[in-house]
Amino acid sequence: MNVMKKMTLPKLLNILLPILFGILFLYVWEKNGLHYLMGLKKYQLPVPSQIAKALADNKTQLLSNARYTTAEALIGLIIGSLIGFFTAVMATVFPKWGYGGLTVLSAFNAVPIVALSPVMNNWFGMGMGSKIAVVVVTAMAAMAFNAYRGLNDLKPFSLDLMASYAATRREVFFLLRLPNSIPNILTALKISTTSSMIAAIVSEFFASYAGIGFELSNALKTAKMPLAWAYITVAAIIGIALHFIVSLVETYALKWHVSQK
Amino acid sequence: MNTPEIRIENVSMVYSDNGASVKALDNVSIDIQKGEFISLLGPSGCGKTTLLRIIGDLLQPTSGNVLVCDQTPRQTRMDQKYGIVFQSPVLFDWRTISKNIRLPLEIMKVPREEQNRRIESLLELVGLSKFADHYPHQLSGGMQQRVGIARALAIQPEILLMDEPFSALDEFTREKLNEDVLQIWSKTNKTVVFVTHNIAESVFMSDRVCVLSPHPGRLSAIVDIDLPRPRTKEMRDWPEFNALVAKIRNSFEGV
Ligand SMILES: Nc1ncnc2c1ncn2[C@@H]1O[C@H](COP(=O)(O)OP(=O)(O)OP(=O)(O)O)[C@@H](O)[C@H]1O
Ligand SMILES: [Mg+2]
Repeated sequence: MNVMKKMTLPKLLNILLPILFGILFLYVWEKNGLHYLMGLKKYQLPVPSQIAKALADNKTQLLSNARYTTAEALIGLIIGSLIGFFTAVMATVFPKWGYGGLTVLSAFNAVPIVALSPVMNNWFGMGMGSKIAVVVVTAMAAMAFNAYRGLNDLKPFSLDLMASYAATRREVFFLLRLPNSIPNILTALKISTTSSMIAAIVSEFFASYAGIGFELSNALKTAKMPLAWAYITVAAIIGIALHFIVSLVETYALKWHVSQK
Repeated sequence: MNTPEIRIENVSMVYSDNGASVKALDNVSIDIQKGEFISLLGPSGCGKTTLLRIIGDLLQPTSGNVLVCDQTPRQTRMDQKYGIVFQSPVLFDWRTISKNIRLPLEIMKVPREEQNRRIESLLELVGLSKFADHYPHQLSGGMQQRVGIARALAIQPEILLMDEPFSALDEFTREKLNEDVLQIWSKTNKTVVFVTHNIAESVFMSDRVCVLSPHPGRLSAIVDIDLPRPRTKEMRDWPEFNALVAKIRNSFEGV
């Protein structure tokens, strides 16, 4: 019992302190503390209660646009991660020419989203396709490099160990390389969930028919600040939720990992 | 005399990375009989690991010949006749202890029932039955090394190559495992090449001790250990035992 208490008290504080801090922050914001600190006018930054009202008033519109953007982000994330993973596998299995694929991906990745979005709009039109394409580009590099590291950064002698059993290349891949890369794959997914949402939203800024980024930019243009902040809030919640889901998968899949001790 | 199980003939090994070259082995020849327990003994850097890796076909010698079971080390490796214990345990972090021991058995397609039987008895042998379902990071370094030994024994290899398997262990565990390994070996009649830098350990375990000297790695003496078997703890106090230890120690001073 005593031990249990010792274990849970710091854990409880770990949860409680951020919540308390969050509440305090919202309170200060509500009471115009942030405006005072940053020298902002009231119309420049709505207070939490105004944002909450905008959230409630525009529920349907917010939800449908959130779904639109999340779909772009998730589809792009999945396609991009698959391409990235496939490239990493090729670079591992055929090191001679497969590594070239990684170089190509890193070149793509070096193009900023701001430059990529108009190009993709031009190629794939103003609908979802162009946004998905941007997300694919951002997600594939993160996956390719992390997965490649996981498939190739092996413990010393582990390849020798497999060689001593006369293991086939196939067995080395499935019994050693692939499981060794799981933590890196999850890291890549964690990075990409966040960046996918950003990529999708930023792409919608340029030209779109719908989505969080599109509506956000409209709301800003028409000075509907509480609505704009409602969209920002929705984007943040989705980002956190996706990150949380991947973290949950990670805790479950990496029971064996030192970091889970 | 029969043809030796392992024949090492004039083997030399020169490592060269970017210009600099290190002569790790210089013209080493050893014949090892089937069922023999041989130790490679010598100070750090004298080429023990290098020679072991050459025998196990994990490294190609610069010159010289190695025959194992009347064939090349490559063929012997492809026949899955080697069990190797490396200097570090090399456990797969994502596998539990029992699944780590299962790894080679899966690769060699040993029937599941038989896998379970061997894993259970080996865990018992290395005193880790309670840790079967633990992950490697939950074990101490010495415990991990014991898993590595159990894993090598699991495949009941024709030839067991061990690279300082006990160097990370405390004296108590080391001496106990010395006896355990000898006991398993006496039952199976396998050929063992055992690398160590501990003189007493090499005397206790071996039929013969190959003493290597460094820079470059040369075979400086082969000492017959004519102590009776089975070896027991008490023998460590015998005058004959200590005489052999002294003899080997002196052979180093001559270097
Ligand atoms: N991959 C390598 N590249 C270059 N030099 C090497 C390599 N491996 C070993 N050597 C050199 O070869 C010599 C013998 O090394 P080896 O690992 O066989 O020694 P050892 O007897 O096993 O030593 P220890 O007891 O410290 O394990 C050393 O001088 C070492 O620096
Ligand atoms: Mg060594």
